Amino acid sequence: MSDRPILTARGVTKRFGGLVALDGVDLDIPRGVVQAIIGPNGSGKTTLLNALSGASHADAGSIQIDGRELFRLKPHRIARLGLARTFQTIRIFNNLSVIENVKVAGACNTPISLFGIVTEDARQKQNEAEIEYRARAALEVVGLGGRANDRAAQLPYAQQRLLEIARALASKPDVLLLDEPAAGMNMTESMKLLGTIADLKTSGITILLVEHNVRLVMGISDRVVVLDFGKKIAEGTPEEVQRNPRVIEAYLGRRHRHA
Amino acid sequence: MKTSRLKTRIALALFAIAVLTIPLAARDGYIIQLLNIAMLNAIVVLGLNFATGWTGQINFGQAAFYGLGAYTTAIATKAGLPWISTPFLAVAVVVAASLVLGLPTLRLRTYYLAMTTIGFGEIVRLIIVHWEPVTGGTSGLRAIPGISLFGFGPQGQIQHYYVLIAVLAVAVLVAVRIRHSALGRAMIATKDSEIAAEQSGVDTTRTKLLAFIIGAIYAGLAGCLYASSIRFISPDSFSGIQAVLLMTMLIVGGMGSIAGCIIGAAALTLLPEALRFLGQWYLVLYGLGVIVVIVLAPGGLASIASTIRLRLAGAR
Amino acid sequence: MGQLVINGLALGSIYALVALGLLLIFNTVQIVNFAQGQLLMLGAFIGISSAVTHELPVAIAWIITMVAMAFVGIVFMVLVYFPLRRRPPFLVILTTIAMGIVLENLTLIIWGPLPVSMPSPVHGAPLRFSGVVISMHQIFIFVTLAVILLLQFLLLTKTRFGILMQATAQDLHTARLVGIPVNRTIAVAFALGAMLSGVAGLLVAPIFLAEPTMGGSLGLKGFVVSVIGGFGNLPGAVIGGLFLGLIETFGARYISSNFRDAYAFIVMIAVLVAWPRGLFGEKSSEKV
Repeated sequence: MSDRPILTARGVTKRFGGLVALDGVDLDIPRGVVQAIIGPNGSGKTTLLNALSGASHADAGSIQIDGRELFRLKPHRIARLGLARTFQTIRIFNNLSVIENVKVAGACNTPISLFGIVTEDARQKQNEAEIEYRARAALEVVGLGGRANDRAAQLPYAQQRLLEIARALASKPDVLLLDEPAAGMNMTESMKLLGTIADLKTSGITILLVEHNVRLVMGISDRVVVLDFGKKIAEGTPEEVQRNPRVIEAYLGRRHRHA
Repeated sequence: MKTSRLKTRIALALFAIAVLTIPLAARDGYIIQLLNIAMLNAIVVLGLNFATGWTGQINFGQAAFYGLGAYTTAIATKAGLPWISTPFLAVAVVVAASLVLGLPTLRLRTYYLAMTTIGFGEIVRLIIVHWEPVTGGTSGLRAIPGISLFGFGPQGQIQHYYVLIAVLAVAVLVAVRIRHSALGRAMIATKDSEIAAEQSGVDTTRTKLLAFIIGAIYAGLAGCLYASSIRFISPDSFSGIQAVLLMTMLIVGGMGSIAGCIIGAAALTLLPEALRFLGQWYLVLYGLGVIVVIVLAPGGLASIASTIRLRLAGAR
Repeated sequence: MGQLVINGLALGSIYALVALGLLLIFNTVQIVNFAQGQLLMLGAFIGISSAVTHELPVAIAWIITMVAMAFVGIVFMVLVYFPLRRRPPFLVILTTIAMGIVLENLTLIIWGPLPVSMPSPVHGAPLRFSGVVISMHQIFIFVTLAVILLLQFLLLTKTRFGILMQATAQDLHTARLVGIPVNRTIAVAFALGAMLSGVAGLLVAPIFLAEPTMGGSLGLKGFVVSVIGGFGNLPGAVIGGLFLGLIETFGARYISSNFRDAYAFIVMIAVLVAWPRGLFGEKSSEKV
């Protein structure tokens, strides 16, 4: 294992009409850490996440995972290269069962052979068995093993969020992007979620956590990046960031403006 | 779990016995012919289900693929080619056509895709109507040679009935296998959330194209069997109205449900004949019926059965 | 040549009117009405019934048709759109198609399958310019299109109702929360959309004769125009309509009249391959 960061971004820039949503953002995320991205509303957090995952491409910049360029690749290629994500507003597959949701991502690096599917040959059976195994394992991690055969749409809200995490895990990612995973969860559910994130970290996955709730982030993160108006204004350990006057200004200033 | 699976198996077995003994009970060749057409339609609707029911891509071009398969077969056999070559020719033609239509258009959104597929169907129909020396124009092609493998082939409606049952069974089996494979899951994922599917590693463009092509192959093969079992084809059987009819079979039966495809195809093939005494009123009632089913039973006829079962279970 | 241009523009004006009717409905509920052609056909038959069968003056027949079509539009909205307003737009495509089938066959039952003619509201000798003949009815078509385009432009941009429509299209739920009478706005949009197709029907009947099956192809042309011009785009609908009328007329004359109906679709597919949202772009925002 090298000291090279698992995920790097250089000069990521995104404009919506006249508005600059991301203004030359650089990131270096070491392997195996929990990296938080925080910032006031509209600071560009989700835009950055979309740019990294390819959901909405940046206009300029370079994004590399383990040395491989991701910029402007289609999202499914990025997913196959080891970057998985969840969504701020839940996007599960309602017409599939819980385990099938997870299997979709579990199959991401398994080639599809129509001939194999139709004849159900040995290789197809083996592929399906492996996908099933990966999917079960991912469901166990988030504690949804018991609901594997339910319809995904029947899960309560907090469990749908967990299902999204399980789905992301099933693609065996190096980097997992979590977009406000605790949104809409109550205190108990949020605490359980933090436990799951801690478990994931010990298993070696690098986690990029976008959160609105700063207190939730500070306890679990190793490193924090602060965005404001599309620019990175601070970076460091949670303690360093909390003492940074520019960060305090960004949050307090914003609060004053709202008041 | 186990008892319910046993029950399903018993139900399937009873259904199979009933289906296989129908020709013994029905003396009327006309009824058998209707059932044959219903089975052909069921194959086409099963094909439509890949693109529309599972992947969520509107396709009003399915009747044109049906027609391309039928005309390819009719023209080839009338030109003296052996029958065995026709399924391959039909598949080659519809795969080529579905690539031409699908590659540039599958990225389009709902209405644009609906319109391009309608346009494709119209263009195919106009070519069939006006390329008279080859296609026979509006009067169609008659006396098409029948199915024949090395000199053997089904004779009469009843033998065709069994051949079509076998083909439909294979079509269902293939659909079931695709549904429970990574490809089937990718199709449904693409319909439910295209962006989440992409971020889960699904190549949604390729998935849509595959669903489209597989559906076209179903239609092409059904067209091939239509030409060589009904032995007469005309442009009317593959027009835009037929495309709408196929779509309503899918919706009324139950989008995304394999059983629904068969129920919808059977119901909407047999019903017009049973209600023929209504004359022009039939189509009025048909239109209203489609609206009622879409409004009141979003899951189609296939879902009504399970809803009733749930209600009964709840009442107990 | 000049004659073909005039004939093409007259035909294109009819297509533009169908597209303008679609646009009114689309701009309010983001739904494409696949029965617009059948509404046109119904308008033509109501006009014929009044003017020919009951021998009323043509102007009265026009008024009767407009009132009847407004009513039909509202009934249409209640039956076909309203029950499905929270469901995928895909299903509304099917219910509008089904309603088209119902209207077509009801017309067949009531008026029979034979083509019938309708008098034009304008009379007088055709104008002639160096061999090009322009009938009074063609002039009437151009004037009607211009007036309706102007009225619709004013309605959408200068009136309170236009703003209500746009708000409803942007976000139905929020529109309702801020107190916009959403259902009434939608009902009026459907009524106006049906009236516009009624006008198109009354204009078509004197040139082509009316028959119950005429709606299908005219409706499809209306969508082709909407696609070429970009759904919901007012100038796009008119330019697209005139453009399509010219293409068809010239194509029928110089290529083959057999494939008259195919040119529309070939042009549309070509446009979509190059510009997936139409030549002039889509006006309304995507519903999420």
